[in-house]
Amino acid sequence: MSDATVLLEVRGLGRRFEPRAGGGQAMFAIRDLSFDVRDGELLTIVGPSGSGKSTLLNLIAQIDAPTEGEIRFRGEAIAGPNMRALRPGWDRQFGYVTQDDTLLPWRTLLDNVLFPLRVQGRLSAHTRERAADLMRAVGLERFERYYPHELSGGMRKRAALIRTLVYDPPVILMDEPFGALDAQTRTQLQTDLLTLWSLGRKTIVFVTHDIAEAIALGDRALVFTRAPARVQSEHRIPIARPRDVRNIYLLDGFAETYQRIRKELS
Amino acid sequence: MNDRAFRDRLVVTVAVLIAWQLAAVAFGAHWISPPLATARRVLELALNGELARHALYTLAAAAGGFILGGVPGGILPFVLRRAPRLAAVLDPYLVAAYGMPKLALAPLFILWFGIGLASKVTLVASIVFFLVFFSAAAGVRATDVRLVAMARVVGASERALARHVVWPGAVPYIFAGLKISLSYAIGAAVVGELISSNRGLGYLIQAGANDFDTTTVFAALLTLTLLIVAVNALVETAERRLLRWRPNDAQPARRLVTAA
Repeated sequence: MSDATVLLEVRGLGRRFEPRAGGGQAMFAIRDLSFDVRDGELLTIVGPSGSGKSTLLNLIAQIDAPTEGEIRFRGEAIAGPNMRALRPGWDRQFGYVTQDDTLLPWRTLLDNVLFPLRVQGRLSAHTRERAADLMRAVGLERFERYYPHELSGGMRKRAALIRTLVYDPPVILMDEPFGALDAQTRTQLQTDLLTLWSLGRKTIVFVTHDIAEAIALGDRALVFTRAPARVQSEHRIPIARPRDVRNIYLLDGFAETYQRIRKELS
Repeated sequence: MNDRAFRDRLVVTVAVLIAWQLAAVAFGAHWISPPLATARRVLELALNGELARHALYTLAAAAGGFILGGVPGGILPFVLRRAPRLAAVLDPYLVAAYGMPKLALAPLFILWFGIGLASKVTLVASIVFFLVFFSAAAGVRATDVRLVAMARVVGASERALARHVVWPGAVPYIFAGLKISLSYAIGAAVVGELISSNRGLGYLIQAGANDFDTTTVFAALLTLTLLIVAVNALVETAERRLLRWRPNDAQPARRLVTAA
């Protein structure tokens, strides 16, 4: 794995937020942040809440621009202080599953899943079939015609995940996507994610504040410091795949990795 | 509507009719035309075709102005969303123009466009435009930035964004503006007719009052009210159809499954 090609390079990245009118001082959410993401890996990032993890994903997704440093994708600089215009998603190279499910409330579940294909002008019998397959894979096939408000949080999360997978972006950014779910649903979704990942082998950057989740899912986990966030340490996850997320606590290597990361975060 | 609400509404209707009748007795039928006489006059006017003639004229003025004002009022916020500098320049002028009492412009419109339909349509449009514009603008402003970011990330063009994200989100606001505009539109048409006209329900009211014929005045007012209620029901039906995706507040969102 260590000789796999580097897909994404983050170099000396910083994002400063100006003070609000009426007081306070400018502060960096992240600063001097550097790391690599390799092709096909599932990289998890853990850090205390408020440590700039979401800011980082927004910078990679090109929703926001860095104050300093740069991001390179396949060797090409895609973000830096000298680049003016943002290109959200970098021409569909980056999928982004956010904390909120951001489904369009006025579209049925199926229409939400098909939304990227529709705006990209790629709706066809073939892509519709792919969407149907993905819906079936996560057990949503019976709920195609329902509106988001009629469905549970777990189902909406699944739909949001499928919506990103359906247009097949090579890199998927995930920002605590399973944060607000009950433990059982969460485990199920983690299992679903690993299954889908093993089928497609995409590159995933998965942000969480839950150490157990970072270990259960990742090939590698980065631990972030408090804001301004930098990489405090890097941990290879020694647990073999396929992994049984439900019993992850019992697997070899879990307890020891967990202790190591916990000590660093405290 | 359930049976209970229907029954309660019937009770309120009867109470209002009784109060109306009592007022007619107390102040004299000459000043307050009693319900039965008013109903009889409505029927009379309906049978001889006068009612339809006047009502259709008022409706035509209201509908014409509604379209002439409502369509640009609904579209302009979407244009301004893409042109923030223009929006900033226009903002104080729009607010000032909104604040100006449009009914005070009625004499001017009549001078310009004559006592025919055109002056009433213009008056209605000048009111409806601002009501719809400010509701639609609120809807555009309320666009969920997270949905916008999502749409951009998956590759939506600005046009697709406006059509699939901003517009559907603004529709409930636009409907709120349209619903308020409806009664204002009919009201403005009537005021235009009161000032100067030879047709319309406003004219009927004016003519009735000139002849000390309160029964005709009341009959025209009753017709107006029924007209507004009917048109409002139409808009609500359209709204329900278009906003099927919204949780129905009358009953809690039907959740299919509690745990996924």
